[in-house]
Amino acid sequence: MSAFAGMEDLLQDFLQEAGDLLSDVDNKLVDLERSPDDHRLLNEIFRGFHTIKGGAGFLNATELVKLCHLTENLFDKLRNAEMALTPALMDTIMAATQGVRNMFGEIAQGRQPDPAPAEVVTTLRAALEGAAEQKKAPSAAPAAATAPSTTTPPSSAPLAGPMRGLDWQALHGAVTGRPAELPVAKPAVEPVAKVDVAGLQPHFPPEGRRASDKPGAVASGTTSGRRADERAAARETTIRVDTARLDQVLNLSGEIGLTKNRLTSLRVDILAGRTDTDTLQALDQAVSQLDLLVSDLQNSVMKTRMQPIGRLFQKYPRIARDLARQLGKDVELALVGEETEVDKTMIEDLADPLIHLIRNAVDHGVESPQERLAAGKQVKSVVRLEARQEGDHIVLIIADDGRGMSPERIRAKAVEKGIINEEEANTLDDRQSLNLIFLPGFSTMSQASAVSGRGVGMDVVKTNIQKLNGSIEIRSEPGKGSVFVISLPLTLAILPVLLVLLGDQPFALPLSMVREILPIDHARMQEVGGKETLVVRGEILPVISLARLLGWPQVRPPEYGVLMQAAERSFILAVDNFAGRDDAVIKALDDFRPRGVAGVTTLSNGQIVLILDMKELLVDLASPNDRETRGGHARALEIFA
Amino acid sequence: MADPKMRILVVDDFSTMRRIVRNLLKELGFSNVDEAEDGAMALQKLQNDSFEFVVTDWNMPNMDGLQLLQAIRKSAALKHLPVLMITAEAKRENIIAAAQAGASGYIVKPFTAATLAEKLQKIFDKMGG
Repeated sequence: MSAFAGMEDLLQDFLQEAGDLLSDVDNKLVDLERSPDDHRLLNEIFRGFHTIKGGAGFLNATELVKLCHLTENLFDKLRNAEMALTPALMDTIMAATQGVRNMFGEIAQGRQPDPAPAEVVTTLRAALEGAAEQKKAPSAAPAAATAPSTTTPPSSAPLAGPMRGLDWQALHGAVTGRPAELPVAKPAVEPVAKVDVAGLQPHFPPEGRRASDKPGAVASGTTSGRRADERAAARETTIRVDTARLDQVLNLSGEIGLTKNRLTSLRVDILAGRTDTDTLQALDQAVSQLDLLVSDLQNSVMKTRMQPIGRLFQKYPRIARDLARQLGKDVELALVGEETEVDKTMIEDLADPLIHLIRNAVDHGVESPQERLAAGKQVKSVVRLEARQEGDHIVLIIADDGRGMSPERIRAKAVEKGIINEEEANTLDDRQSLNLIFLPGFSTMSQASAVSGRGVGMDVVKTNIQKLNGSIEIRSEPGKGSVFVISLPLTLAILPVLLVLLGDQPFALPLSMVREILPIDHARMQEVGGKETLVVRGEILPVISLARLLGWPQVRPPEYGVLMQAAERSFILAVDNFAGRDDAVIKALDDFRPRGVAGVTTLSNGQIVLILDMKELLVDLASPNDRETRGGHARALEIFA
Repeated sequence: MADPKMRILVVDDFSTMRRIVRNLLKELGFSNVDEAEDGAMALQKLQNDSFEFVVTDWNMPNMDGLQLLQAIRKSAALKHLPVLMITAEAKRENIIAAAQAGASGYIVKPFTAATLAEKLQKIFDKMGG
């Protein structure tokens, strides 16, 4: 059993909202470091911890409440200028914030958080007491300061009728656990209703806890803990949607309902033999309207999945700050275009690649302060993380103003690591040379420093981006800095495809990989090294027959070629004909997924079309036992064809 | 107990907390509940719409719960509206400040439906008598 049985919904809401709040606090802390006297920031951070504390109380997460309470008290003193923000104190606060985040992790795994690390609590308490010491001498205890105002009888604040009867002293006593000694004048009306203390206690059913204290329950607790770990590793399953967007979906489905009714009545008319011009015109109108409404609905539904990328971005300034501090650098992470909306799934999958690129920029891109001074630059460097929408693409930019990359040095390093040989290195232009850093084995070893080395290289970044049907490019100028540009489709749910035909059977190819379409002139085909090739504008490209790739018999010579770019290679895919382009809504083949098939989609005439995964098909082609695999494809494909 | 159709405004900047309070109220049979994200938005709703009860958090951006309470008590149209303050603080300054501003009740987080019921009952009793 989870420690939060029966509260799962609440837990999800809390973790998401409090998580956002904490990220926000993190960013404000980074800002606070630059302007430690900003009263508004101090207030907002105070409120952040305060709010988390309030929510945590309802989850009965005592340790989280304690930690938030201590931190909140610290900010209360800071905002009241009872203590000053020192770098040491900042570190303590950062550690406390991390502690809160760790506890969120524990809660997400369905268990009550362990107490915060002792040293964090001790330093927090010491800081708070230190402040009290400082404060003691100049003025009396803060309570005394408020006392005079409380001596004014409540009648000075006009209590409206319903409030008169409340015995505030009793309430106060109940809340604070001791009798109120303050000379608050009793209301004229007889005192009513003592508030019982029990009612004010945190009032969670204690059974849940006690049950888990039993030895048997402990054992089951650990197994469910493990299950919860797995669950925590899974994606967030809930999403927050602007109600205006949901309303739009509702409106559209209402309108579609109306149009459907219109069609139903037209059907009755037509079946009854009424096929006059008016009826047909009405039918035409209704169908066009439905067409429009459905595509609007699709757009609206898609929009419910869109989230501002700021949710992801806001985690990074803190990471960049911590890393820069560790390395003795002064780096500011500037966020641009946080409001840009991206598909939720994509946001989750972008988290790791972006962290890696930011770490990379701070660690390797930005020079040490000495180097920067020597190069005539400002000590403080700015790493820019930007998102924007360009047409039907999302563009993400990670740019630093650091030392930049030298194509020669990258080539030399690639040769030294044995990734390419001298001969290959000499044929590469500057752009291709920079791209070498995305090859497996390039970055993992030498870059595995204490900070950015997490066993993940740039090749993983690139693979992850490609999984999202995206691409990544580098621009770099030695001495001026490097820019990584990631380009992603707006959504993963709709894939623009090119429909090609083998005989009568259509197949769908991702349009993003298609560069151009050309007729195949068999007279111009050349055989190079046993492979058929075609020269297109000076580029020798292999011609691969789709029929052969799928293990189908080549009935007649293919007439058309699709010039495709998959990973780093370009080739011509030979097909019989084309059936046009389409926006495919991909249906995944969950239980049965033949290799080389990314999913299926249906055409307007109801025909099922396979969407091909070219990368997988090409891998199979390269592998030695491809004949057998291809046999597998053929069998799998026959089921559909 | 009071009219279960009573229109209640729940004010809190933390949506999880609004949901908690809403659920607790629902448990007690009150389902005619609307929400506001801070004091300023609450005041606007109260002025444009008719509510019979306000449950508000204290610590909020823009306009906090105490300021909201003060604004309600100052308004001729709203001053009789019962206001239950919710807060994480059990500090006496806070309680007294709430009392002076004219709060109808004060409840400390976390609390259960039973505690909430008790607080509400007390307020209703006083309103009735």
